[in-house]
Amino acid sequence: MSYKRIGKRELRRDGKVKAEGKALYPADIYLDDMVYGRTLRSTIPKGHFSLDFREALKIPGVLGILTAKDIPGKNEYGVLLKDHQVFCEHSVKQIGDPLGLVVAETEKIAKKAAGMVKVRYEEEEGVFDPREAMKNSAPAVHEDRDNTLFHFKLRKGNVEEAFRDAHVVVENTYHSESVDHAFLQTEAGVAYWEESDRLVIVASTQYPHFDRSEIANSLGLDEEKVRIINPAVGGSFGGREDLTLQIHLGIAVMKFNRPVKIVYDRKESFLAHCKRHPMIMEYKTAADRDGKFLGMKARIVGDTGAYASWAVNVLRKAGVHATGPYEIPNVWVDSYAVYTNNPFSGAMRGFGATQPAIAYEQQIDEVARKLGLDPFAIRRINGFKPGSITATDQLMRESVPVEECLKALENALKEMKTDKELRKEKGSEKNTGMKKTGKGIGLIFYGTGYGNGAPDVAKARAMIDEEGLAHLFCGASEVGQGAKTALTQIPAEILGLKPEEVGFHHEDTLTTLDAGTCAASRQTYSMGNAIKLATDALANRLVEEAGKILGIKDSSCLSIENYEIFHKENPNQRLSFKELAGRIPEEERTVERSFTAITTEMDPETGKGDPYWPYTFSACGVTVEVDTETGLVEILEGVLVQDAGKAVNPELIEGQMDGGFTMGQGYTLMEDLQVIRGEIKHTNFTRYLIPTALDTIELKKIIIEDPESTGPYGAKGVGEPVMIPVAPAILNAIFDAVGIRIKEIPVTPEKLLSVIEEGKHGGKREAEI
Amino acid sequence: MNNIQIKLNGEWREVEISPGMRLLDLLRDELKLTGTKEGCGEGECGVCSVIMNGHLVNACLVMAFQAEKAEVLTIEGLKQSGEFDPIQQAFIDIGAVQCGFCTPGMIMAGKALLLQNPKPTREEIRRGISGNLCRCTGYEKIVEAIENASKR
Repeated sequence: MSYKRIGKRELRRDGKVKAEGKALYPADIYLDDMVYGRTLRSTIPKGHFSLDFREALKIPGVLGILTAKDIPGKNEYGVLLKDHQVFCEHSVKQIGDPLGLVVAETEKIAKKAAGMVKVRYEEEEGVFDPREAMKNSAPAVHEDRDNTLFHFKLRKGNVEEAFRDAHVVVENTYHSESVDHAFLQTEAGVAYWEESDRLVIVASTQYPHFDRSEIANSLGLDEEKVRIINPAVGGSFGGREDLTLQIHLGIAVMKFNRPVKIVYDRKESFLAHCKRHPMIMEYKTAADRDGKFLGMKARIVGDTGAYASWAVNVLRKAGVHATGPYEIPNVWVDSYAVYTNNPFSGAMRGFGATQPAIAYEQQIDEVARKLGLDPFAIRRINGFKPGSITATDQLMRESVPVEECLKALENALKEMKTDKELRKEKGSEKNTGMKKTGKGIGLIFYGTGYGNGAPDVAKARAMIDEEGLAHLFCGASEVGQGAKTALTQIPAEILGLKPEEVGFHHEDTLTTLDAGTCAASRQTYSMGNAIKLATDALANRLVEEAGKILGIKDSSCLSIENYEIFHKENPNQRLSFKELAGRIPEEERTVERSFTAITTEMDPETGKGDPYWPYTFSACGVTVEVDTETGLVEILEGVLVQDAGKAVNPELIEGQMDGGFTMGQGYTLMEDLQVIRGEIKHTNFTRYLIPTALDTIELKKIIIEDPESTGPYGAKGVGEPVMIPVAPAILNAIFDAVGIRIKEIPVTPEKLLSVIEEGKHGGKREAEI
Repeated sequence: MNNIQIKLNGEWREVEISPGMRLLDLLRDELKLTGTKEGCGEGECGVCSVIMNGHLVNACLVMAFQAEKAEVLTIEGLKQSGEFDPIQQAFIDIGAVQCGFCTPGMIMAGKALLLQNPKPTREEIRRGISGNLCRCTGYEKIVEAIENASKR
């Protein structure tokens, strides 16, 4: 099938406006008579508090200080469980919990007054290790809830028998750390009243329609009285799914009847939004003498900190993805989400599928080494193919290009420079000096969508206006991934237009329909499907009317292009969109359609079910150089292979691949929040290091196309899977270089040096058969 | 409050500044030149990069009074008679833009580099933008865009 717009490297619609600095982010908005808010935040992880703001209120220019008692509606919010308070009432559960909001004439005054508020704490003993928090004796994080808030079970076959009969068994425990999204635009927003007593909140989000419902609930307003505008978003990666300042803004506007602005500084941004769940992953894997997996057992404990956010879904996703893209007949998985008094964890790129890959891909590498098998061979023996059955007993019916991904990766790695050439370039000798190189690969799968039977719906409206211009209305967020561009390639394909000719209206809850969240790599797939359904129906209506007017009964004779419908054989017979718009009532040239993703609820005791669809595959290979003197790991070369079903826009997918690889690199080697007794020690970019242009490589990127019949033109989502195979590839490459299995990320130089030192004394060095 | 003279995007202006005001506050809050962003406030992220007297600076680390008699170029001053600067055009054409928040600073860093070194190697480009963080692109297409612009 050849397409005019799908699969093309269409330029980003928002490229120009962003390149000239004219894209409007919330902090760029200044309104007349505007006042500023500064949030008061807890400095202790657990305890009671009282506020004394008598001195702060005396400062000229302070309008007031809002606390829990000023909340007009319910003092609760949260994407899943309503366990957050808008402002804490008496007690706090984590450092950074919001206590109140100072509102003042200027940002400077607000900040000064906030510094003069006296907070008296009665600190209580918190719990900071999720394994401790799971014990009955542990202090409760939430009085009315168990610390273990979720337990997911996956049971298949008899795993103990598999271990008994196995030729090889490997066992290890892996730890992944809490990391930050570190989007460059910190949280910012403005809010104001508009006509008809509607409250407008302008703030970056991944899901404006859901925000609206939560904000309305806490403000005690009907949803129609709240309007969310989501202008340019300076990165999100999952960190803008929970609310931060939105309700605070609303309360301040309702109280003072003036426009209000809040902008977080970097430290506050680190304190305010969720983190990636740190996980402790105990794994045991069994294989026969040919390398065929017999069984896998995993126990995964995820620390969600003080609030659940998406913990249930994240740990469920971890459990479903715990066994990797492999056929394993006997499986036993337990995954737990646990409250502690650490900074809360929530969504971040990969959403629970990222962490287990660190474990299962190292387990497979360990098995391969014990059996003397090539890393590709063992993945071929066990990897999914069409017809495979997953650990949840789901049938992998189509678009399962594991072999294609492996083949592409294998070929690309062959083309890569040999160790010798690389060392010659770098001026270091082969494994004789202190610098050692090694290669490693990772292979992963990722299930798209909300999962486990949750209604996963995207709605779109397509229309032709009276001028004959095409418009698309949907609430999908453009967070930098290119939604504006990729999603308009679909109506452009159907209507024979250029993507930029389709008006794309997506930033405002007043004019758009609920798209579902911009997360779970679901927008191109789910929203794309809804857009395709709506635009197809609109095009059919136009063709039908044109056929009627032109007296052509067989609609297949008609073509649609460039604002016209015409007879293919006799192009003189034509009608413009504008002429047709004049003949079709507005309600008939405005078409709404929705798409619901395929997902079933899993059995709570066995995990059996079809939790996600479709699955996307990704493979990565790297060469690293480990400096055994300094502990530094440098990535010399890398290849990322990404299955996209059908690539709607290869340029945008490559952008995701570059960014995902780099984020994976930071996750594995650099990013370290240093959370100690609930306190993030690294709250700025001097200490929380993310990759710079000097750390990154020229990544080789390969897109694999194996169209998925339920996707728009065969497309699947790629935003998250691009990141997931990177960490295991790096960790396997480090093992290849120095023979040491890394069980904890990030692999900072200090950590690596200490395990190398232990290895010298025979401690953790892996035996190789 | 006092006044300073500043040549901003090619035009001499007299502007009022207050004590403690950073160049970034002057640009954004007073002059509403919001293309220059704030990301960290301590010179680590580079989203506030502007060119001052031919050199790349972080506008969050420069006090407004230090810009007295200085020539300051911001992202808003790059377009010449309606035409994008070659770096801007290359960012657009090559897809070096994602969320866009680092983009103005990144373009200014590229511009400052090309002013001093019109034909940089890829390594020099990487060094030239190493003070500017980007969380979306992995820098790959940004490096490519600056290299491309150097050949235009």
